[in-house]
Amino acid sequence: MDKIEPPLIKKSLGSLHPISQTKDFLLKLLSEIGFKEIHGPEIESEKFNFDMLNIKKSHPARQMHDTFYVENKSSVLRTHTSPVQIRGMLNTKPPLAFTSAGKVYRKDDDATHLPMFHQVEGIYVDENVTFANLKDLIHQILHNLFGKDIEIRFRPSYFPFTEPSAEVDILSDNGKWLEILGCGIVHPKVLKNCNIDAKKYSGLAFGLGVERIAMLKYGVNDIRDFYKSNLDFLGQFK
Amino acid sequence: MKFIYQDLLNFLSEEPSIEVLSDKLFQLGHEHEIDDNVFLMEFTPNRGDCLSLSGLARDLNIFFGKEEPFKVFEGDIDPLNLNFKNLSTQACPKISFLEIEIEKIPNTYEPFLENHFSMSSNKKTNFFTDVSNYISYELGQPTHCFDADTISNELVFENRICDESFKSLLGHNINLSGKNSIFSLDNKIISLAGVMGGMSTACTTKTKKVLVECAFFEPEAIIGKSVKYNLTSDAAHKFERGVDIEAQEKVLRRFIQIVKDHTEIKSIKIQTFEDIQSQKVRIPVDVEGIKRILGIDLEEREYLTYLSKLGFTIEKEIIVPSHRHDVMSQNDLAEEIARIIGYNNIESNFLEIKKMADECLDNSNRLKNYLIKNGFSEVINFPFTENKKEKSISIDNPLDSNRSHLRTCLKDSLLDNLLYNERRQKDSIKLFEISDIYSNDNKINYEKKLGIVISGRRGHNYLDFSKKLDNDYLSELLNYHSDIPDFNIEEIHRSELKTKKKDRIFYVEILIDQLPDHIFEDSEPHFDQINFIKYQPVSEFPSSTRDFSFSIEDFNKYDALIEYLTDLSDKNLKDAFIFDFYKNQKLNEIKVGIRLIFQSSLTTLSDEEIQKSVNKLLKPIMDLGGVSIPGLD
Repeated sequence: MDKIEPPLIKKSLGSLHPISQTKDFLLKLLSEIGFKEIHGPEIESEKFNFDMLNIKKSHPARQMHDTFYVENKSSVLRTHTSPVQIRGMLNTKPPLAFTSAGKVYRKDDDATHLPMFHQVEGIYVDENVTFANLKDLIHQILHNLFGKDIEIRFRPSYFPFTEPSAEVDILSDNGKWLEILGCGIVHPKVLKNCNIDAKKYSGLAFGLGVERIAMLKYGVNDIRDFYKSNLDFLGQFK
Repeated sequence: MKFIYQDLLNFLSEEPSIEVLSDKLFQLGHEHEIDDNVFLMEFTPNRGDCLSLSGLARDLNIFFGKEEPFKVFEGDIDPLNLNFKNLSTQACPKISFLEIEIEKIPNTYEPFLENHFSMSSNKKTNFFTDVSNYISYELGQPTHCFDADTISNELVFENRICDESFKSLLGHNINLSGKNSIFSLDNKIISLAGVMGGMSTACTTKTKKVLVECAFFEPEAIIGKSVKYNLTSDAAHKFERGVDIEAQEKVLRRFIQIVKDHTEIKSIKIQTFEDIQSQKVRIPVDVEGIKRILGIDLEEREYLTYLSKLGFTIEKEIIVPSHRHDVMSQNDLAEEIARIIGYNNIESNFLEIKKMADECLDNSNRLKNYLIKNGFSEVINFPFTENKKEKSISIDNPLDSNRSHLRTCLKDSLLDNLLYNERRQKDSIKLFEISDIYSNDNKINYEKKLGIVISGRRGHNYLDFSKKLDNDYLSELLNYHSDIPDFNIEEIHRSELKTKKKDRIFYVEILIDQLPDHIFEDSEPHFDQINFIKYQPVSEFPSSTRDFSFSIEDFNKYDALIEYLTDLSDKNLKDAFIFDFYKNQKLNEIKVGIRLIFQSSLTTLSDEEIQKSVNKLLKPIMDLGGVSIPGLD
């Protein structure tokens, strides 16, 4: 009997939230490509959230039905992490390569949209940065995420802060194209707003929705599951 | 927005298949789905010029040629002497009015008009309004039809601050507030300009004399109004995106032609008010600039041909057509060229970025690693709350009154998470959240905080099962790193919460930024490589627990028993763990207790189903021999 050892205790690990895991995965990947992560506040001025990004006063995104305004319209809950990049560009001379990641807010709440979600965005400014370079970078990112064989489609799109702008789709297993990210060549007005000589420098920018990537990678069908804090759900991502 | 495939073909010189047309529309940036020969288009907000058959055909011209398969009235038109005043020429720099009187209201429509209403989901209203709606589909210019007999006095357009009610042509009372672009008669609002007309001046099935208004409204004057007043409006959709300021005469002549195709016209009169001359945008010819932006080779001739086919005029400079409000610069032209070439046909060019910084774990990541290794799960919560605290940030336009402020601490969210999991029969809960917390202390401040909540059993193993998560546990966990500044562990009393559970709840909140940099240096990242596992949907059905205590008389069977117990498997078994281990020296006996937790993703399990699973799981143990379950026959 004395030789009997008690059963081994397997230390029970907790879990990092799947959104944190996906965000960290993207940031690590981008860091390996050469991007440096920078941080900024979630409550922003309209100047940094909109004006500096060439988003006109009349743009629908600035309406009360799309953006959360706080403290008597003195500020907004940032609608994207791009203002972090604006702050980064104002403080750094090119060449520069930044990522910004975190919570963003839009006035949506239904089965497929949440009032808070996460973005990972990146910007690279240097001499002679082209749309062809942007395509290469997007391929690097998506091949890392979904494998070398993934089919990728670029479509023209519209973002006030990039021109040309593109949305990128991947071909899913069921033969349907899925929108995966937005990107483009940084609009010269945005560079000028950040005191960067737009005749000498050009830039590329992209943004990924972390929830969307997490849903695809983990096979989660309902975006709301991420925020129920159900231990049966969270425990699967150990 | 819907476009019928056959209608679009009528505007093209060639006859591409629906698949080929679909591919080219995607290449040009016009996202859509196809439903039974109808394109369901999702246009980007900067391409208002494509919200019509002729607009789409203009964009497709380079691939399939374009046609104008309709006639416009080419005869003389008498001048109209309308009593009209434009008080806001910035909001409406150009507006035209057409007055038509007809002999008889047509009983039937020509096939093209009849088909439009039968193929689309649009309902017929009255003859003039139906013509107006069709023209908007065909040419992209919204027009509004007033019953001319109701426009008796001076018609006024203005952008004015409103605080009055207006009855829309759909019969709804709209309470206008703030600044709106409106038309008025005798100072009474008769139409919300660019969005929807009013009941008092609307055409009816008896209207024989119409006043057609055809305007260019600055998008800024219209934007947001249809959403604000909850009015679904094709006109607003188009005006918000910008219409062609030079198209008014053509549109009104087309209106006359369609009326003429249906009935005899008694009189037609037209008048245009152009208070501000529109300026053409001119961009220098710079093929080298385009090549620098896109990173491609491009001949100047090719570049100019593409632009010409898109409707740009090539002179010493490139003159942007009046319908393209989105083109202002060389970058815009680069996008035009890229669309024609096809984004997918532009070759990638290797990008190498000089690395700016090495990876390093910040304090919050180190903390996360440490807590996860100690069995904690990270949660992420929305920051919204109904609780207004002294320095809390208020949201001017919350989703609802329950989410009118930003939280000033993490406690309430984490307690909600704890109660949610207790309701799901969790008996050992260790949660944490790290988040920025905002407050207003004359200026907006934020601090990164860690919140931890614990309750229930310390763990699911025989050492921790009977111990409870408590103050000592939390102190030990955090004191392990003595560099953590002062922190207060708070016991949350169950009486404050709507819960009948008995386990004590402990909570602590710590400012991350006050942690010294070297803290948790030994906490290597737990997630070196993230494996994206395939998630299994969580069951919403209740779980059932069964405990069994094994008495081991033949110690030679001990190892086999433990090995079996640590690898149990059954379709209904959700979890299993050894919660008791006891050596009884006096009786020369070893006891091992195991807890089995059953749950199905499809149904609430019956006692019979659970027993069936139990029997299956226990049989190999009973077959071992030398192991018994006291009390079990």
